[in-house]
Amino acid sequence: MTSVATIPVIGAPSRSPSAIIVRKLFRRKLVLAGAAILVVVTLLALFAPWVTPYDPMAMKISDRIQSPRAAHWFGTDELGRDVFSRVVFGARYSLTIGALVVLISVTGGVLLGLTAGFFRRLDGPIMRLVDAMMSFPDILLAIALVAVLGTSMTNVILALAIVYTPRVARVVRASTLVVRELLFIEAARALGVSTWRILFIHILNNIASPILVQATFIFAYAVLAEAGLSFLGVGVPPDLPTWGTMIASGQQFAHQAIWLVVFPGVAIVLAALSLQMVGDGFRDLLDPKLRKAM
Amino acid sequence: MTRYLASRFAGMVIVMLLVATIVFFITRLAPGDPAAVMLGDQATAADIAKLRTSYGLDKPLPLQFGYWLGELVHGNLGQSIFLQRPVTQALLERAEPTFFLTLFSIAIATLIGVPCGIIAAVWRGKTIDQFFSGFAMLGASIPSFWFGLILMQIFAVSLGWFPVAGYGDPGAPLSDRLHHLVLPSIVLGVVNSALILRFTRASMLDVLGDDHIRTARAKGLSEASVILRHALRNALIPVLTVLGLTFALLIGGAIVTETVFGLPGVGNLVVSAVLRRDYPVIQGALLVIAGLYVLINLAIDLLYLVVDPRVKY
Amino acid sequence: MFRTAIRNLWSSPFGLSHSAPRVALAAVAVATALGFAGGSALAAPVRGGAANIAMIGEPQTLDPMASTADLVGIITQHVYELLYTFDANWNVTPMLAESMPAISKDGLVYTIPLRKGVKFHNGKEMTSDDVVASLKRWQDTAPRGKAVAKEIKSLEAKGPNTIVITLNRPYAPLLAHLALPNGFAAIMAKDSIATPLTQFIGTGPYMFKERKPDQYVQLVRYDGYSARKEPASGYAGKREAWIDELRFIPVPNANTRVEGSLSGQYQFADLLPVESYARLENAPNVKPVLTSPFGFPYLVLNTKQGPLTSVTLRQAVEAALNNADMMGAGFGDPKFYTTEASHYARNTPFYSTAGTENYGKGDAKKAATLVANGKYDGTPIKILTSQQYDFHYRMALVMAENLKAAGFKVDMQVVDWSTLIQRRNDPALWDIYITHSAVLPDPTLTPPQLGDGAPGWWSSPAKEAALSALNAEADPKKRGALWGSVQAVVFTEVPYIRVGYFNSVTARSPKLEGYVAMPWPFFWNTWLDK
Repeated sequence: MTSVATIPVIGAPSRSPSAIIVRKLFRRKLVLAGAAILVVVTLLALFAPWVTPYDPMAMKISDRIQSPRAAHWFGTDELGRDVFSRVVFGARYSLTIGALVVLISVTGGVLLGLTAGFFRRLDGPIMRLVDAMMSFPDILLAIALVAVLGTSMTNVILALAIVYTPRVARVVRASTLVVRELLFIEAARALGVSTWRILFIHILNNIASPILVQATFIFAYAVLAEAGLSFLGVGVPPDLPTWGTMIASGQQFAHQAIWLVVFPGVAIVLAALSLQMVGDGFRDLLDPKLRKAM
Repeated sequence: MTRYLASRFAGMVIVMLLVATIVFFITRLAPGDPAAVMLGDQATAADIAKLRTSYGLDKPLPLQFGYWLGELVHGNLGQSIFLQRPVTQALLERAEPTFFLTLFSIAIATLIGVPCGIIAAVWRGKTIDQFFSGFAMLGASIPSFWFGLILMQIFAVSLGWFPVAGYGDPGAPLSDRLHHLVLPSIVLGVVNSALILRFTRASMLDVLGDDHIRTARAKGLSEASVILRHALRNALIPVLTVLGLTFALLIGGAIVTETVFGLPGVGNLVVSAVLRRDYPVIQGALLVIAGLYVLINLAIDLLYLVVDPRVKY
Repeated sequence: MFRTAIRNLWSSPFGLSHSAPRVALAAVAVATALGFAGGSALAAPVRGGAANIAMIGEPQTLDPMASTADLVGIITQHVYELLYTFDANWNVTPMLAESMPAISKDGLVYTIPLRKGVKFHNGKEMTSDDVVASLKRWQDTAPRGKAVAKEIKSLEAKGPNTIVITLNRPYAPLLAHLALPNGFAAIMAKDSIATPLTQFIGTGPYMFKERKPDQYVQLVRYDGYSARKEPASGYAGKREAWIDELRFIPVPNANTRVEGSLSGQYQFADLLPVESYARLENAPNVKPVLTSPFGFPYLVLNTKQGPLTSVTLRQAVEAALNNADMMGAGFGDPKFYTTEASHYARNTPFYSTAGTENYGKGDAKKAATLVANGKYDGTPIKILTSQQYDFHYRMALVMAENLKAAGFKVDMQVVDWSTLIQRRNDPALWDIYITHSAVLPDPTLTPPQLGDGAPGWWSSPAKEAALSALNAEADPKKRGALWGSVQAVVFTEVPYIRVGYFNSVTARSPKLEGYVAMPWPFFWNTWLDK
C-alpha cells in the first residue's frame, strides 16, 4: 500500500515514489550497514577472478586440509583447493541464483496477482491455486521439483522461482485490490484508457513498493534455500563451488578442519542478513499496514 | 457461522484437490525408473516390465491419476517401491521423531520469541530492543543445517553432552530418545524464534498504540497491569497466525535437520525417497504434510473465533 | 602375534583367580590355533547382548544373489551359507559340503558330498534338492552365477546328499566362485525360493528377524545351527553365535559413523574415512582396525556405447589419469594407500609387470595425442559417481580435471549409490563409473568385468583367448604366469582401470572381542564383553 502523498495525479508531473524512498532509506544506519555489506559481496562476486589469488577449481593434493594461513586466508579443502577463492566464487553462484529467482518469481507473481486482483472472475481460481501451492513448505516443494527436473543450476532456479511466485502473487493481489478502488483508476477507465495501460502503468506504479520489499526478502530466502538444497544433495551439482555444496563436502572433515564449514556458512549469513536489513528498511518506510500483507 | 464453516470446508476441499493434482503430476513427470531401482542391479528388462505393470506404471497418465485419487479417498496412499510396505505405514513409522522434534521446536521458539518480542516492544528503541531485533534478524539469516553442524561439533563431538546422531537403539526408552532430540530442537527452535519474535513485537507495538490502552493508562492502572492484562491478550491473537506459518517452516527445517542429525523422521524419508525415486512415498509425504498445513490453518482460523471477540463470521 | 598374545596375558582382566596362569597359557594356545589376528582373545566368550553395526547405507535387497554390493553380502552371509568357503589363507574349504569334491580325471565332473543333518531356519533338513534349486537360481540371478552357468553343462542331485556338476570344459575357478560370499551361491530352503525373495531361510548361525528400511536389519541367533567341527579360520570352520542379536544400521553419513564409534553408540562401524584414523587411535572406547591392503578402486569404461567404444580413446583416458593424485585425493595420508600399477601385489603368485608401462601418470600430452588419433568428436564423457563412498567422489573430481587437461569434455553426474547401481546397467547413461573391490585371491573373482555381461560389456578375442588359457590351467603355480597375459590385454584394451591399493579403516568397540578382519566383516565367533 502506498501513502496518500505518493499517489500520482493523472497529468501532473510525478514525484517518483522510488526517489522518495531511496532518500529516506539512507537516513537509517542499519539499512546503510546492510546495503554496504551487500555492495561488498556483489563487488566481490563481480570481480571474483581478479580478487581471488587462486583458481577455485585448482587442486593440489599435496596441500590438502591446511588451516588458514598467509598463503591461504581461509585454508584449503580436502583436494587442496583454496577456500577463500571458492567462497568468493560461491558468491557468484548465490547472487546469480538469487537474482534470477527474484526476476522470474516477481514476473510470474505480478502477472498472477494483477490478474487476480483486477479481474474478479479470475480471482477465485487463481487464489485457490496460490493457496494450494503455499500449502507446501518451501523446501519440500523445491526438493520435489528438483527431483522432477533434475539437479542443475537452471532447474534449481526454476524450482525456487515456482516456490516463491505464489508469495509475490498474494502481495500483488492484495495491493491491487486496494489500488483498484481508488478514484483515479475509475477516472482513467471513464476516460477510456486501455486495460493494459491501467494495469501495467498505473496500478503497477503504485504497488511497486510492496513488490520491492517482497523481492528483497525472496532474494534472501533463495540464497538460504539453495544452500539447503545443495547441502541435501538435491540442489546444484556438487562439483560447483556454491556455499551449500562446500558445507556439504566439508562436514565430514568438520572435526579436523572446521574452517571448511565455518567460512561458507558465515558467507551465507552475511548475504542473507544484509538482504534482510535492506528489505526491512524498505518495509519500515511504507505504510505499517503493509506488514500484514506479507 | 455454519455458513462460514461450510464455505471454509468447501474451499479446503478444493485446495486439497488442487494439492493432490499438483503432487501427482509433479512426481509422475520425473525421469528415472523406480521399478529398476527396486529390483536391484541384476534385473532383466522383462522383470522390470512385469513390475511396472503390477504397479500400474504402464497405463496412461490420466488413468493412473484417477486410480490414485480413488485410492486416496479410501485412505490408501499406495505402496512404497523401495521399502516394500504401504506408504501410510512408512509415514507412521517415521512420524514419532518428526512429531516430537516439531513439538519441542515450536515450544522453544515460542518460549524465546514471545517474551523477547514483548520486551522488545515495551522498551522500544532502547538497547534491549535493538539487541533482540538484531538477534531476530540474525536468526532468520542462519541456515538451520549450518547451525546444526556447528552446535553438533561443539556440544556433541567436543563436549560430549549429547549424542551425535540418530534416535537411539531400537527399544530404547523415551528419555533416551528425547536426549537425542535436544540439539536438533534447539537448532530449529532458535532459528524459528526469529519470526515469532518479530511478529510478537510488531503486534504488541500495534496494540500499545491503541486507544483502549491509552484509556487504561489514563485510568491510572500500573504499567505492568496495562501490558499484561490489556495489551498482551490482544497482541497474542495475530501471533496465532505466525504459529501456523511456523509449522510450515518447521517441517521444512525438519527435513534438513533430520538429515544433519540422522533422525529417522518423515523429513529424512522424503529426502531418501527423492534420491531413490520412490514416487509413492514422495507423493504421500507431500500430501500428508500439505494436508496437515491446511488443517492447521483452518484450526487457527477457528481459534480466532473463540479468542477474538471482534471477529464475527 | 605371539608377542601380542603374551602382552595381553598381563593386561586383560580374567575375572579368574588361582587358575589364571594355566587358563591363560591354554588360552594362548587356543588363540594361536584359532588364528585370531592379535587382540585380547584370552577373555572367555560371553553369550548375550546386541551389537549395533553401522554400515554405509541401506541394502538395496536382502537377496544375496541379486546384488554384488558388499553391503548385501556382509549382512546376508550371516543368514545363508555356501557349499564352500575360504579360510584365513584363502584356501577353498568345505562349508555345507562335507568335504572337497571328487573331480574326474578330465576335470569335467565334480561330485560334491553334502553334510547331513544341517537344519534350515524353518527346521527342515537340508537335502540335495535345496542345493540344486539354490544353485539353479544363482545361475539365473547372480552375475557370477550367470558367468559360471556358461561353463556348466549340467547340475544334478545324486541321492539326497550328493550333487554332481558337469562342466563343458575344465574350469579351474569353479570352487572359488562357489565359495565367494559376494553375489553368492547361497543355499536357500527350496520352499522359500521366489523372485523377489520375501522369506530369508538359510542355514546360517543367525536368522532374519526384522527389517525396517533406513533404520536397521535385525538378525537373531539361530539355536538350531549345525556348526562344523574344525576350528575357525577365516570364513571357514566352526561358527558360534555368541551375540544374541545383530543390528545392521544404515548410516550413510561417514562422519556420523565415526562419531557414533567414538561415543560407543556403535560396536562396529564399517568403512570409515581414513582421516579419522588418528582420532580413533587416540580415543579410549574404540579400536580402529586397519586392513592392509583392503581393496582397490577401479574405473569401468563403457566399451559398448558412447565415445569410449574406441580403444584409442580409452587408451587416452588411461594415459591422462594421474593415478597417484587420484589415490592421494581419495585417501590422503600415504599410510592408507599404495600407488601400484600391477594388479597383484609383489608377494602374490600373480604379480606381473606386463602392460604396466601404460599405468597413468597424468601425461596430458600423450593423452592429447591419443585423443586426436582417436578422432574425438567432443561428446562429453559422462562420469558416474556417488558421494556415498567419499573417496569415489574425490577421485572422480581429480579424474575430471585430468581428462579435461587432455582435451576431453566432461559431464560429471553425481547420484546416490542405489541410482548408480541401477544406471550402470544402461549403456546409454554413462561412459565411466567408479567403484571398488576387495582384494581377492584369484584373478577371476574380481573385477566382474573379467566375466561376461557386467557393466562395461567388455568382450574381445584377446580377452577370450587369455582368459581361457588362464581358466583351463588348474595348477596354481602355472596360473601366475598366465595371468600376466590377461593383465597385458587389460592395459592395452582398457576395459577398466585399477587405480591402486587402499587400506580400509573400520572401528570396533573394545568390548567386541574375537573379531577377525576379513574383506566382508562377519560377526559370528565374536562376543560382547560385559
